[in-house]
Amino acid sequence: MTGKSRWGNDEADAAARKKEKEEKKRVKLEKQRKVEEEEARRRDAGAAPAVQEQDSDRPSKRRKVSEDEGRDEEPGIDLPRILLRFTAPEWAPCRHIDNFERLNHIEEGSYGWVSRARESATGEIVALKKLKMDNLNDGFPVTALREIQTLKESRHKHIVDLREVVMGDTLTDVFLVMDFLEHDLKTLQEDMTEPFLQSEIKTLMLQLTSAVEYLHDHWILHRDLKTSNILMNNRGELKVADFGMARYFGDPAPANMTQLVVTLWYRAPELLLGAESYGRGVDIWSLGCIFGELLKNAPILPGKNEVDELSKIFELCGLPSEETWPGFRRLPNAKGLRLPRTPTAIGSVIRSKFPLLTAAGTDLLNSLLALNPAHRPSAADVLNHPWFSEDPRPKATAMFPTFPSKAGQEKRRRVASPSAPKRGDAPKINGEGLDFSGIFADREAEEVGAGFALRLG
Amino acid sequence: MAASSPHLSQLVNPLVSVDQLASSGSQLDGVPSDLESSCIYAGAQLMQIAGILLRLPQDIIAQAIVIFSRFWIGSDGGSLREFGVKDVSLASIYLMVKLSAYPKAPRSVINVFGYLDSFHSTLGDLKGHVDTNNPESYYVSEGTYVAQRAQLTKMETIILKVLGFQTHVALPYNICINYLQALDVFVDHETASHLAKRAFAHLNSALLSPQLLYLTHQPPALATAAIYLSAKETGVKLPDAEWWEVFDTDREELGFLVVAMISMEDFVKEENVKWENRKAPSTLIEMENELERKATANGHH
Repeated sequence: MTGKSRWGNDEADAAARKKEKEEKKRVKLEKQRKVEEEEARRRDAGAAPAVQEQDSDRPSKRRKVSEDEGRDEEPGIDLPRILLRFTAPEWAPCRHIDNFERLNHIEEGSYGWVSRARESATGEIVALKKLKMDNLNDGFPVTALREIQTLKESRHKHIVDLREVVMGDTLTDVFLVMDFLEHDLKTLQEDMTEPFLQSEIKTLMLQLTSAVEYLHDHWILHRDLKTSNILMNNRGELKVADFGMARYFGDPAPANMTQLVVTLWYRAPELLLGAESYGRGVDIWSLGCIFGELLKNAPILPGKNEVDELSKIFELCGLPSEETWPGFRRLPNAKGLRLPRTPTAIGSVIRSKFPLLTAAGTDLLNSLLALNPAHRPSAADVLNHPWFSEDPRPKATAMFPTFPSKAGQEKRRRVASPSAPKRGDAPKINGEGLDFSGIFADREAEEVGAGFALRLG
Repeated sequence: MAASSPHLSQLVNPLVSVDQLASSGSQLDGVPSDLESSCIYAGAQLMQIAGILLRLPQDIIAQAIVIFSRFWIGSDGGSLREFGVKDVSLASIYLMVKLSAYPKAPRSVINVFGYLDSFHSTLGDLKGHVDTNNPESYYVSEGTYVAQRAQLTKMETIILKVLGFQTHVALPYNICINYLQALDVFVDHETASHLAKRAFAHLNSALLSPQLLYLTHQPPALATAAIYLSAKETGVKLPDAEWWEVFDTDREELGFLVVAMISMEDFVKEENVKWENRKAPSTLIEMENELERKATANGHH
């Protein structure tokens, strides 16, 4: 028996279609006959003999112009059809590190050492990142593999370009060859006495958010956005770097993702509360922390440890409740928190902490730092936020001031700040020995009669 | 209209260059090309079986087989006289599993390969072998494990080096279903799912093709050819028009792939006859023995 499909089911169906076709043909012939008769009649009448004769040479062409019959022909049969051709990338073995001449050391990150180098053949200046190859029990470090994989797939103006991977004499000498940029945002800020101007912050945030939008569109979570991972050149252009924590994700989010991601000061509350499944929201939270940091010229949530980080977050953004964040109590680390039984909403104090920000700006920061990840905007939403279109407008990158490059020559002044989390078990926050009661002490003094207290469970 | 964009990464694979197709590390080292095909086919087959035993989804197994196939191609590719097929199979599986959402411990992978090693032949199906199962023959001792894990780590990095860290593999399975939906064949569910299963079967067989179809053709063309062939086999009618062009495959490419997919059956039969009571060489020692045996056999004639 023949199979069924809408393209021709069985013999009967085919027969029916044949009959239909024949009927059409018959009608067509009939029409043609009538037209010819008509023409013959006109010719007989001899209305315009000279012109008529010429015309009668090409009756078929004239008939084709008629809409009704033209449709019966297979449309576009003579048109060359254009097929989509893919240009496939190729592969070749890694080149040797000897093709590069190392110039100076830049810095040591959590996943490797970075130095400035010159490619001997082209004279181009690049950044070389040597991967840390310890803990080889599980073979090639998966974080390094993900970093290479996600960076290779990311081709964006504001994401650092991984040009190639080169190797040294042994199998543990692996180097990433990347664009060299003069600055990173953190070092730059440390040397600035005044924060960036609002117009400059807008430009930086637009660039950064466009990179995050690209990553999220490609199902990549960066998971370690922070000012020291954002590089800048002297033309006001920024590029996101360090994909050591990045990974692919999906919708629904994969289960059993590690919470041990994102440097503490930029880590979203759901991670601190132990969510095993999370998504784009973690990067958006970091975006909010960076926004605040650009405004203040200092990190806004510099927690000493996980518990301190969480209390700093609650201090700034208010307390979560079942209304604002349904289900947050079911997160593994939320069990140790006992929040007031009658949750008089403890609102965010973002507005008063950032007095120079306009209403639109405050709205943006508030939404980025929403405790409930579902309430945070997408990167695309951020790009369309009204704050960017109100005065002062984003500054053109060409108008950005230039700064002397530390990475270019001098060794960095290291200012103490945490680095991305290391392998191991995510710390469990349980009720024992945690004291949240002091968090709102100051505020209580300011706003007498707030009517709540944080108690420990 | 030529389109090149990383945005299409789900559709586009890195493909071999003409130069890479012209030669291979093994051939340069004097391995005859039919023996090379046999070894690579046996290695891919081994990975497919190991993947099932490791309870991996087929797309991870397929990715690993593609990586494995890429490793051997071109004059810069790995040589069968330098690297054992089994080591490369094991490391390819482990590497792709590590990058997937289904991580496995090195021990699991090593145990499974140890188990499969105890069989007299890796060709054909597993069922016939389970009765003669003897735990002592596949027990991996702690010493063996430590040595194999060290070898695995080394091999993994060598694969990455040879591939220039190009581990991206796009697969035709998902788009195959999309195409079937676009062709509106799911009107009758039973027939359509039969068709879809046939198409997947052809896509799975094509992974083992000596013509290295996944290295020479893009996923849309593979999916289209699998659908065309399966529709013919199951008697499902598809549009009279040249529908494959909608999926960016021209008649020539479609024809080539369909013939290549049909030829898999005979290829597998021939391999089964060729290696009936023994294994295609899977280690360096076995390879040298095989080359010696071949040389002696040729000397007699």
